[in-house]
Amino acid sequence: MNPLAIRLDHVSAQFQHRLKGVIAAVHDVSMEVQPGELLTLLGPSGCGKTTTLRMIAGFHEPTAGRILIGDRDVTLVEANDRGIGFVFQNYALFPHLTVFENVAYGLRVQRHDSSHIASAVSEVLSLVGLVGYEPQMPHQLSGGEQQRVALARAIVIRPSVLLFDEPLSNLDAKLRVHMRGEIRSLQKKLGITTVYVTHDQEEAMAISDRIAVMNRGEIAQIGDAEQLYRRPASVFVARFIGHANLLPATVVSVGAAGVEIDIVGERRVLGEPQSGLQPSQPVTAVIRPEALVISDAAKAKSGVPGHVKSCAYLGDKCEYDVELAGIAVQVTKANPMPSDRLAPATAVRVQLPADGIHVLPEA
Amino acid sequence: MAISAQVLRPADRAVGLTVVVLWLLLALFVIYPLLMMLSVAFLDGGKPTIAPLIAVLAKPSHRAALLNSLLLGGLVGLFGTALGFLFAFTVARGNLPPRWVRVIDAATLLPLISPPFTTSISFIFSFGPRGLITHDLLGFKGTNVYGLTSTLAAEVLTYFPIAYLTLRPVLSGISGNLEEMAFSLGSRRLHVFRTVTLPLAIPGLANAVLLLFAASLADFATPLILAGNVLPVLPTEAYLQITGLFDLRGGAILSVMLLVPAAIVYLLQRSWVARGHFVTVTGKAGPQSSIRSVTPTARLWLSLACAAVALFILYLYSLLVFASLVSAFGADHTWTLRHYQVIFTEGRKAIVDTLIIALIGMPLGGLYGVLVGYLIARGPAGGRQAMEIVSMINYALPGTIVGIAYLIAFNDPPIALTGTALIIIACYVFRYSPAGIRTTIALMQQIDKSLEEASRSLGARSAATFRRVTLPLVMPAFLAGVGVVFIRSMTAISATIFLVSIGWTLITVRILENMTELSLGPAAAFSVFVIAIVMAVMALLNALLRQLPTATGEQMQWGLGGG
Repeated sequence: MNPLAIRLDHVSAQFQHRLKGVIAAVHDVSMEVQPGELLTLLGPSGCGKTTTLRMIAGFHEPTAGRILIGDRDVTLVEANDRGIGFVFQNYALFPHLTVFENVAYGLRVQRHDSSHIASAVSEVLSLVGLVGYEPQMPHQLSGGEQQRVALARAIVIRPSVLLFDEPLSNLDAKLRVHMRGEIRSLQKKLGITTVYVTHDQEEAMAISDRIAVMNRGEIAQIGDAEQLYRRPASVFVARFIGHANLLPATVVSVGAAGVEIDIVGERRVLGEPQSGLQPSQPVTAVIRPEALVISDAAKAKSGVPGHVKSCAYLGDKCEYDVELAGIAVQVTKANPMPSDRLAPATAVRVQLPADGIHVLPEA
Repeated sequence: MAISAQVLRPADRAVGLTVVVLWLLLALFVIYPLLMMLSVAFLDGGKPTIAPLIAVLAKPSHRAALLNSLLLGGLVGLFGTALGFLFAFTVARGNLPPRWVRVIDAATLLPLISPPFTTSISFIFSFGPRGLITHDLLGFKGTNVYGLTSTLAAEVLTYFPIAYLTLRPVLSGISGNLEEMAFSLGSRRLHVFRTVTLPLAIPGLANAVLLLFAASLADFATPLILAGNVLPVLPTEAYLQITGLFDLRGGAILSVMLLVPAAIVYLLQRSWVARGHFVTVTGKAGPQSSIRSVTPTARLWLSLACAAVALFILYLYSLLVFASLVSAFGADHTWTLRHYQVIFTEGRKAIVDTLIIALIGMPLGGLYGVLVGYLIARGPAGGRQAMEIVSMINYALPGTIVGIAYLIAFNDPPIALTGTALIIIACYVFRYSPAGIRTTIALMQQIDKSLEEASRSLGARSAATFRRVTLPLVMPAFLAGVGVVFIRSMTAISATIFLVSIGWTLITVRILENMTELSLGPAAAFSVFVIAIVMAVMALLNALLRQLPTATGEQMQWGLGGG
């Protein structure tokens, strides 16, 4: 089956809340998921990501807007008629059916003959690595195995669209990393257009072609992982994806070479294209902790002076809380050696490389 | 998410239709009879009047009946709760071997699944003029078993298991750690019991008292057999008013007087007990308390007391079996199967009728319970609470009220059902299905909505989803509903005694007739037969439950209550 695109066209969802009155869970969302693409909806709880996914699935009707799968307007189409596969957070395996019958369920409902069902089920079970589990009941399986059954059940009906609602949040950390790799490779192999919901930004970055960061029912930014991390569109996105040091800065000049800013008393020329900035405009500079370079003041000549407030040794890196010109910033040092560990109260100098700085017009 | 938005889609028309049909049934079999009864009681030529009420209250015997009902209910509440607490405390704190707990459970289950006057019949065998204890053992001549003491004792023994079932989880839920801490603060055992255990159990105790009060208030069979002329109570007075004097209005008013205390108890229970419930169940299992809440001596006394009561119950039931197997109890103790011959020949019609009614009522009641429970848990948002309340009315009301209301409502056109089996079946279905409704609601709350969504996402319509997913998962509730309707169809009398006819009669009514004709042998044989059938069906249903793929291995908690 050729993968289909999903299009959301000014979609909103309002709810009648018992106490708060009408609340907009999703407000005027428009986006397009490309055929075969895996797009993740990422955001804090209550941001509207699950509601958006459930509207694509047909579990919720939007109060405004249109949803298209391929060329078909499915806004008013029932969930059972949309050709979707849905993987639930709690797996939602039918507790009264065996693994085989769970996976066969969609085919039975569509009245396929039993020889086709048997071969299709065994095919997807081998795809998810569960051959031999057919007669087991769901409660006899581990969390990871249940997750695979849920996945097999969703793909056996050959859906044109695959939807995941925080599918890994009930698994332990190691298994989560393993399963997301499996989901991604399976999705690529089958080439199914996929929307994936999670609140875990690392998971989103690892698995997605593109990520839509949502906040308060709206899409804050859509882009690939690198765009979101390196060039966040807002303070919210900067803060939500990874750790961001936010420093006040002022635009000095805007020229052909780039934008020159003044940041904690230092001048930097930023090479990245940035439009709409005026000289002497106050801006916010986003600098990731690993972009800052920290050294002992006794050894370094350049850099902004400051002092270490605390230090956390995490094995692969050290996390320093540093006070820099009266502002608290976080600095990470990769591969820390005993010789260059900096104790609290040590006077340091911190360098701010221009290519690690991204400015936002918000003050 | 604290959001309640359910959009009724076109394909949910089946759900909508079910809602409409169920509301029509509830209106016809719950609301309409009640309104008809109230109108007979309080309307005169279309105008509201309380003159008949005053006339009824003017009769001293009726006032006495009201006071006796309240007195009896209060005493049964207190003594029954005390006895239930004794059992619950012994089981929860006594560290009894599991085998003994099973014996206690069996002894307390017996009264709950028996016809409501089984204890009363045994009391007569035991303490009557020719009673085994009073006459044979103690040699009393012409003892009078009828009156408050025996009625009270029989009701306490019949209903204390309700208190036991209510209090046992309460006491088990009070963490041993709390008592342990009180010990560590230097309290002595009795002091801990008085200052920690008892106060924490108070909401449960109050609940038990109210439940027993309501059960006694509604009890019709025990007073009819044991109260004699000395202790008229409201249900029996209402019954005599209707069957003896053919005074429908008087009967209706007497049963309405029953409604007032019953409603007060219901409201008290809902507001006060529910609000005052202490949560000591944290979900975190504390380590097994190393300090025992009771001394070995106290434990011995508690166990002995429970064993004595349990033995007494078993003695009463053995007596029943014995009486059914001897020629004439108290006079001629030669073994005979004559009484069983009688019930299977003369009594055959009652047995066949009862079984037909029970067997028709079973699936209907089970289905009705599952459907109503499902709609209350998952149906369209509007009217769910109303449906929950209305569906519970016939269950909460004393049977006498329901019986008289049905008699009044369905005696004449437009809906004349008197004399048919349908009126009895309808009475059972709408009165005893709430157990199935409750179980369904509880089960549905455990079944995540995502299961139904998963089914829909895989292409199943709502009807297919209900059939393939929801129905199999609520199967335990269906079986519970079926079981309770069956048990009650075999044992109930308070409502249906008004509804039997020449065409359709019931075993329980025949037992009552036998008692009044003093044919005690057949009465005993009928009772033994009913108990045997009920136990067999319960065993069958429990076996079925264990076969279900979702079986948890737990025994079903049968919904219980007065007859």
